[in-house]
Parts: sequence; structure tokens; C-alpha cells
Amino acid sequence: MSDVIKANGFTNQTLGWKAWLDVVDANAATPEQNKVLEASHPQAKTSDYYLLLVHEPHILDQRSYTYNAIMYAPGGLNRADRELGALAVSRVNGCVYCASVHAQRFEQLAKRNEIVRDVFEDLATAAKNERDAAVIEVATALTRDVSGFDADQLQVLKDQEFNEVEMLDLIHSVSVFGWANRLMQNLGEPVFPAQ
Amino acid sequence: MQSAESSDLIDTLLDLKPDSKTWQARQFREKVKNGTQASYEALFAPELHLPLKDRWLVALYASSLMKAPELTAHYTEQALLAGIEEKLVQIVTEDHVEDIVKCELNSVLQFTKKLILDPIEGNEEALLTLKESGLSTQDVVVLGQLIGFLAYQIRLVAGLKAMRKLEDAA
Repeated sequence: MSDVIKANGFTNQTLGWKAWLDVVDANAATPEQNKVLEASHPQAKTSDYYLLLVHEPHILDQRSYTYNAIMYAPGGLNRADRELGALAVSRVNGCVYCASVHAQRFEQLAKRNEIVRDVFEDLATAAKNERDAAVIEVATALTRDVSGFDADQLQVLKDQEFNEVEMLDLIHSVSVFGWANRLMQNLGEPVFPAQ
Repeated sequence: MQSAESSDLIDTLLDLKPDSKTWQARQFREKVKNGTQASYEALFAPELHLPLKDRWLVALYASSLMKAPELTAHYTEQALLAGIEEKLVQIVTEDHVEDIVKCELNSVLQFTKKLILDPIEGNEEALLTLKESGLSTQDVVVLGQLIGFLAYQIRLVAGLKAMRKLEDAA
């Protein structure tokens, strides 16, 4: 178990999430809903998030397929950097729930956690090396200023010897967290563990 | 899932071809490419309860607010093809949605603007407003997924454009 880090309202503790709207009763789910829940996440049947989204199973199915392919597919960009991208976007967007989940994943994959506190404190100065800095810079630019995003922003990745697939993997991770954060932040709220 | 023969919207909009490294990187991540296209098709399926015309307007509004030229052009075309009057397309493109009197569409577009610009604006009250204007929970889930998808699609297109430009400059 890693150290508990808390700063600026963010934490790496395990949080719950509760929906603001009525969720599907897992015991009354249709066969299609069950199939999509099982394919989406191992704990989907006890998660308000998936039980809310499964009101529209086909949309959730395509979304989970895309998300899982972006975050878990082998090859290309190492998974720790994909998680750092996800964490940085969640920090920029203020998604406390997503930031906690992806801080934990990053710590597990990268075997380091000192950057997590600094991401929570101040993202702009959090990088521990040039590679972190390049990942955070691209995540911030593509999240905050899409219309200003240009080849110049990707040059920092090229300088770190990212190939095309690695670049695309980071673009995918950053972009899909624009999607994930909006679902988590707008359809419900995080639940903090009892003190 | 789409068949190999059917066309990919993003490749079409950016004119990405198999001879480019950017196209080849997307092809290496074929599952992501197919899932992105299939998500687009699922969110604009005619049979969903939230009216398709409203969904085209949400997409048009989001892409024009984010100044995404290729997607704004695409969603303008789709809105007009769906039979939405030009005046309404213009109101949405010019960000004058307060002029729309239809309560449900008005609240859908106000919600879209807040969330596409800054997701931290989300709150429980905004969802209750949507429900009071006549949306069901299922409609709100579709709308939430649609706005989320658009935030993703707009960034992916911007990222791919930058990749291709970097490739062309090399």
C-alpha cells in the first residue's frame, strides 16, 4: 500500500462514486446489459458509474471497448506514461475521482510516487525529468487549448524519441480522459472514505 | 463493429491515407480506430430517444465552441442534411442559443456549452434542470456520453492533425 497523499482537494486514496440519477438494478439487468457490464470492468455490477451508463448498453459497450484498447493494449507507449497523461488531464479538469484512480495506477506501474504529490500541488512544476515534462506539457496543451494545439507541441515528444505509435498512444490517452472526466464529473460525485 | 470496407470519419475529414505514418499508427491501434468510429455511429443512431436533430446540434455547438474547423463543417453538413433549418444552424454556430425558445433544446445546449468548455462546471442541479425540461435518465446518459465523446473526438482530430503536420515537416 502506498503512502496517502492529499493536496488541493486531490488524493491517491481509494474513493467511491455515487450517481446523481437512478441507476439500473444489477439484479434486474437484461442479458445485453449484463454482457456489457461484464466486458466493461471487473467490478461494474457493483459500481454506480457503470450501472448508470448501462441504461444505454450499446453506447457503453463501444465506449468501454475504445477506452480499454487505449489504456491497456500492449506495445507502443509504456503504460505508466499513458497513466501519467490520464492523471495530468484529470488534474487540469479537476476530476478528483479520476485523479485518485490514475494516481494509484501510475504508482503501481512506474514504481514511484513522489511525482503524485507534486501533480496535485502544482502540475506545471511537477515533472521529475524531461520525459515527464514532455508528457505533462502535451496533456495540458491538448486539454486546455485544443484549437492552439499544433506540431510544435508534439516536437517535445519527438525530442524524447517518441515514435508515431507512442505519440498516438499519448494523444489517445489524453483525449479519452476528456471523455472520462466529463462522465465522472457531470453524472455524479466522488465519495470520500470515513475519517 | 464497423466492417473493414466502411469509411472512417476521421480519416475522411483529415484525408489520411495509407502512405502516411499517422495513418499507419492509427492502423496499428485498429481497435481504438474501430471503437472510435463505432462510438460515433452508436451516438448518432436514429433510434435513440433523444432526438437526432438535437444531437447534431449538440455536436455542431461543441465543435464550433472549441473552434474545430473540420468537425464544425462536418456537423453543419449533417445538421442541414437532417432537415434542421439554416437559421437554427446559424444561431448555434454563432453561439446565440439563448434565442432558442424550445425549452428542452435550450437546456440541452446550455448544458453542452458548460461541459464542453470546462467539465468542473458539472453539478447535480444541472442534471435536475435537464430532467425538469423533459429529459429521461436515459436521455441524460446519452447526452453525457455524447458531450464526453465530442471532447474526445475534437482532441483526437487536433492531435492527428498535428502529427501529420510534424510528419510533413520532417
